[in-house]
Amino acid sequence: MAAAKTTTQYGWVTRTLHWGIALMVFGALGVGTWLARSEPSLAKIPYYATHKSVGMTIFALILLRLAWHRISPTPPVVDHGGWQSALAKAVHRAFYLLLIAMPMSGWVASSATGIDTVIFKTFTLPRIAPVSERWAEIGFQIHGLIGWAIAGLIILHVAGALVRRDGTFARMARGTARSDTTS
Amino acid sequence: MRSFFTALFLLVATVAVADPTPYRLNPGESRVGFTWFFGADAVNGRMPVADADLILDFDRVSNSRVNVSLDLVNVQAGFPFASQALKAQNMLWAARFPTIDFESTRVTQNGSGARIEGNLTMRGVTRPVTLAASIFRKQGAPAGERDELAIRMTGAVSRAAFGAEGWPNEVGDEVQLDILALVERER
Repeated sequence: MAAAKTTTQYGWVTRTLHWGIALMVFGALGVGTWLARSEPSLAKIPYYATHKSVGMTIFALILLRLAWHRISPTPPVVDHGGWQSALAKAVHRAFYLLLIAMPMSGWVASSATGIDTVIFKTFTLPRIAPVSERWAEIGFQIHGLIGWAIAGLIILHVAGALVRRDGTFARMARGTARSDTTS
Repeated sequence: MRSFFTALFLLVATVAVADPTPYRLNPGESRVGFTWFFGADAVNGRMPVADADLILDFDRVSNSRVNVSLDLVNVQAGFPFASQALKAQNMLWAARFPTIDFESTRVTQNGSGARIEGNLTMRGVTRPVTLAASIFRKQGAPAGERDELAIRMTGAVSRAAFGAEGWPNEVGDEVQLDILALVERER
């Protein structure tokens, strides 16, 4: 199984990062939405910590993925032309942007609360914003809005992947599509 | 903490002769407890006593005086994040106001205990606070002997009244106080 892509195949690194990040994003979005919408309680405090740990892991993995694509660029998405291809490219770019902005906004808001941001119960992240209720309030609002945007992107992305029926989904799931010929 | 004070008795006599007596606080055995609310959950914290000046007069209660200074910097608010949050600028601002001070203004008998009115200073703001006090003597000590006593004081404050307004959605405004002071008569 190739690590790097061939001309039409996604390598296992890209695929693992894709599905791994996807799973974590679902988790972080789910827990984050639940925390934001429910009453605070002592029992929920560990979930905040887990949410931050997963969020910063996504952050690291997205950066890793960008670095990996410098070393081993992905095969281009099959381009049928037209608005759907343009939309697909826009969604992909937006994912990279927002999956970086999301943890950053969370980190800013968390820094602004004045309480230490600790991930995996071990690492205390440096503060990247002044301790200020204003910064925390705005930071969390932005964090929430980006969360909604990511949810929208997921819907577009999944819909697009399933609708296109040109082997793209299979390539991300298994590496090759039945229609591919190995080079 | 050992709780060997179980006998409760009516301490305050009605004899008019005044006898204000200084008492020394045992800081290691005493505890200043407080309870705050995170959502619906009660969280218990403790704060060490930095200094205490106590004059107790069992013959004329109004001569009594209770002055205490608490060490906010070493507070334990229930869990680490809580202590850090409590000491932040939007709460008690420990960096600028490292102590919490209470000075009694009026002490009156109240049934078998006492009512201590005084001024509490937190975060640079002073507000009146009333504490209900019960006094216990050491179990087994002869009646009338008041060398070692335990004083339990309870009350509640509004943190907003002192400007400690951070985390309004998560942390309740009321903070309940439960103080147990173990004191010894100074000779």
